Amino acid sequence: MGDRGLSWFAPFGVDAQLISRVLGEATARGADFADLYFEHRTVRSLGLEDGAVNRAYAGVDLGVGVRVVRGEQTGYAYSEDLSLEAVLQAARTAAAIADGSPMPRTANFAIQPVADRYPIRRPWTEVSTADKLPMLRELEKQAFAADPRVKKVNLSFADATGAVLVATSDGRLAFDLQPMTLLSLSCTAEHQGRRESGGYNVAARDDFSFYDPSRLDRLVHRAVDRTTILFDAVPAPAGEMTVVLGAGSSGILLHEAIGHGLEADFNRKGVSIYADKLGKAIAGPLVTIVDDATLPHARGSINIDDEGNPAGCTELVVGGVLQGYLHDQISAKHYGVAPTGNGRREDFRTQPLPRMRSTYMRPGPHSRDEIIASVKKGIFCDHFANGQVQIGAGDFTFYVRSGWLIEDGKLTQPVKDVNLVGNGPKVLEQIDMVGDDLLIDEGGWTCGKDGQSVPVSQGMPSVRVGKMTVGGRG
Amino acid sequence: MQTREDTEKFLADLAEYALGLATRFGAQQAAASVSHMREVEVAWRDGQLERLHEAQSRGLSIELYVDGRFASVSSSDLRREALEPLVRDGVAMTRALEPDPYRQLPDSARYPDPRRALDDADLQLSDPRYAELTALQRREQAQQLEEAARSVTGADKILSVSTSVSDSRSTVFRCDSQGFRGKRHGTSFWRSAEVSVQDPDGRRPEESDYHGARFLADVDAPALVGQRAAERALQRVGAVKLPSGPRTLLVDARVAGRLVSALLGPLSAASLQQQRSFYTGELGQVIGSPLLDLIDDPFVPRGFASRYFDGEGLASERRPLLQAGRVANFFVDTYYGRKLGRVPTSGHASNLSWRLGDRDQAGLLASVDDGLLVTGFLGGNSNATTGDFSLGIQGFAIRDGKLAEPFAEMNLAGSHLTFWQQLVALGNDPNLLSPLRTPTLVFADAAVAGG
Repeated sequence: MGDRGLSWFAPFGVDAQLISRVLGEATARGADFADLYFEHRTVRSLGLEDGAVNRAYAGVDLGVGVRVVRGEQTGYAYSEDLSLEAVLQAARTAAAIADGSPMPRTANFAIQPVADRYPIRRPWTEVSTADKLPMLRELEKQAFAADPRVKKVNLSFADATGAVLVATSDGRLAFDLQPMTLLSLSCTAEHQGRRESGGYNVAARDDFSFYDPSRLDRLVHRAVDRTTILFDAVPAPAGEMTVVLGAGSSGILLHEAIGHGLEADFNRKGVSIYADKLGKAIAGPLVTIVDDATLPHARGSINIDDEGNPAGCTELVVGGVLQGYLHDQISAKHYGVAPTGNGRREDFRTQPLPRMRSTYMRPGPHSRDEIIASVKKGIFCDHFANGQVQIGAGDFTFYVRSGWLIEDGKLTQPVKDVNLVGNGPKVLEQIDMVGDDLLIDEGGWTCGKDGQSVPVSQGMPSVRVGKMTVGGRG
Repeated sequence: MQTREDTEKFLADLAEYALGLATRFGAQQAAASVSHMREVEVAWRDGQLERLHEAQSRGLSIELYVDGRFASVSSSDLRREALEPLVRDGVAMTRALEPDPYRQLPDSARYPDPRRALDDADLQLSDPRYAELTALQRREQAQQLEEAARSVTGADKILSVSTSVSDSRSTVFRCDSQGFRGKRHGTSFWRSAEVSVQDPDGRRPEESDYHGARFLADVDAPALVGQRAAERALQRVGAVKLPSGPRTLLVDARVAGRLVSALLGPLSAASLQQQRSFYTGELGQVIGSPLLDLIDDPFVPRGFASRYFDGEGLASERRPLLQAGRVANFFVDTYYGRKLGRVPTSGHASNLSWRLGDRDQAGLLASVDDGLLVTGFLGGNSNATTGDFSLGIQGFAIRDGKLAEPFAEMNLAGSHLTFWQQLVALGNDPNLLSPLRTPTLVFADAAVAGG
């Protein structure tokens, strides 16, 4: 192991000898494999409220997760104390899943090649509070100047630097440095006695240069526009109708309608509605969907997954035909395929699961205008908040903060606060127009599963869905 | 394993040390909280053990009040040599902020009796028999949950059964530079089963049941939980989408918390002061029907959110929140209370206590000719500023006082400003598995979207 390898251990205060001993203890009762996930993460945030940058937070998270896998059974333990004694105790606890004799294990580690998708020039540890403060004050000023109806402006800024080290019983050693930053502007506006709130946020695995003037300008104006447009909104209609999804964050439809359903753990257990659909047509021929770890600096990108496996771009649906699932190591073994680099976890306290990264639909032949013009009565949605899915029944929802009524091919009036409900396979079949304007959303999306949160990205070209239930009151 | 006394001493010593560091590096006021939690989970699926998870977790957080400025720091690295730079850098970070005259520790006159703050034994939040539960018992219970699920009529349609048996024990110690010292213990035990079934139309609906309590003896037997989970899943077969339109809506006690939590968040001083609340801020505002009577009750024995002090040390009190549909109190913490000029109560809800009706769910159903019983929410959201909400729903049609076919892929929309005035009845069946303790709720003319 070279110098580079040695420097990896520094954030954790451990060495190769400790790692080897702990893996020995983890596999002492037999196992198919075991791994250690060391993590050191520092997070800092700043908040502006009522005219001042008057709150800050700094946090350190340090620990190791020990996992022992036998067949499809997992033993898991973790420790925030990285002394040899404490980590060995965690290894013994995780090893309780097995009851056999010690597993033969290599004593040598091979350093895994790791991609470089989020290089940063200036580490966040070198950016001080005083460096960030003027930017927040200026954004606040611009938000108030953008519209006199704006009464409250809140800003929150966060940066994080994570160092992770994965060591496996089959001798792989992988290290990654994971930067993250997020800036959110929200405001409340008042108009003729009514109040509305809205906002916009941007996030990336990048350094301070991410906040260039055009991005900051977009942040301010989108946040204010998305708030003030709500004053003109009429109640959304109720019932089934045609829905047009704007380019960008409507990738939330893919995330809920199909992404979760293709996570291989649900399929190996036979509980996903897509469990027996491999190789079959599940969507119209215009639909091609990928889950991509490689987009430069994207919030959902990873150099390696949290099991130390390489992460690339995984084709899920090509021309409407289901190509494959999102795998972690356990499901890849179950299906006899290579891991797809989707084994992710929130932190060292949790075990890896198949998870999405940046999920998006490839562009199609139609223009946005021609898609909207084709709709007699329906709604256009371009600003989303959250979604949820039932893996087995396939029903999913996503919440639209604001959109427009479409009447006779034209956007006529804004609508707001309406949930859209559909069934994954049924909605995919209903996608009959796909735009040429793919946009990966720059927002700070977070995906939840089994109580674990991981950062993701999503994207979409403009798309027409023939029929979905719109949960309005009108 | 460390004894409970050892753990408590470790936490208290560490919190005092952190408080000392904060003062030493220049904080005029500070508070430190240290927590310890042991959690164990056994997951079982389709005839075999799937996952063993066991860990002891620790964490420290410190609030720093420096030269009229405020920040907080936290760490899981509790080595004393690591705490010094954490606090030193934290104080420096605080000094770089802009001043905030409203940031101060609470008025110490609002702290509880010191003996109560350090001894909450009479709230019965911690099962003295916690350590008696063995690894083998957890495993057997997880297996029994599955066996019970697979023993019901119609079990041949079951695709998969996942069960879980889990428990945790936590201790938190908090101290501040005004002399507050408080300690809280808690245990909880949970059993759950999730069942997926094959619907002839190709869908694979899943449903679950769970039960839990602060004391092991209060948790429903694995056989009951497993059986209910399977029955609930099998009832989902053949779900249809019903037409849109106004309906009488029963919301099952198990899930009604989804509606109620959206009513509570905007009651906070933080929401009011930031103008992100659909409440006017006036006591007495009518928000619901005269049947809506809600009390925040922190002293429920064995309650999941029972306490003698809240997160900043304020003494807990039993307070009415809504009386006959009118706002009777807000959740006021020290900071936003100062900004608004309101007396602090507590920034967050504890347990809710409702004025219950006299009928159970079957009794409420019997008087509905045509309506819906909502047994699950799916996604959706609520706008805290305006009160608008829109939520995915599933459940069962009600016809002539009886449950009929299951429905899915539908939605409920409304405004909290008017929806609660449509509350026409409450059940006598509070869901004790959540601190919100909701009974079954009945609403007239709810706006439902479907086919």
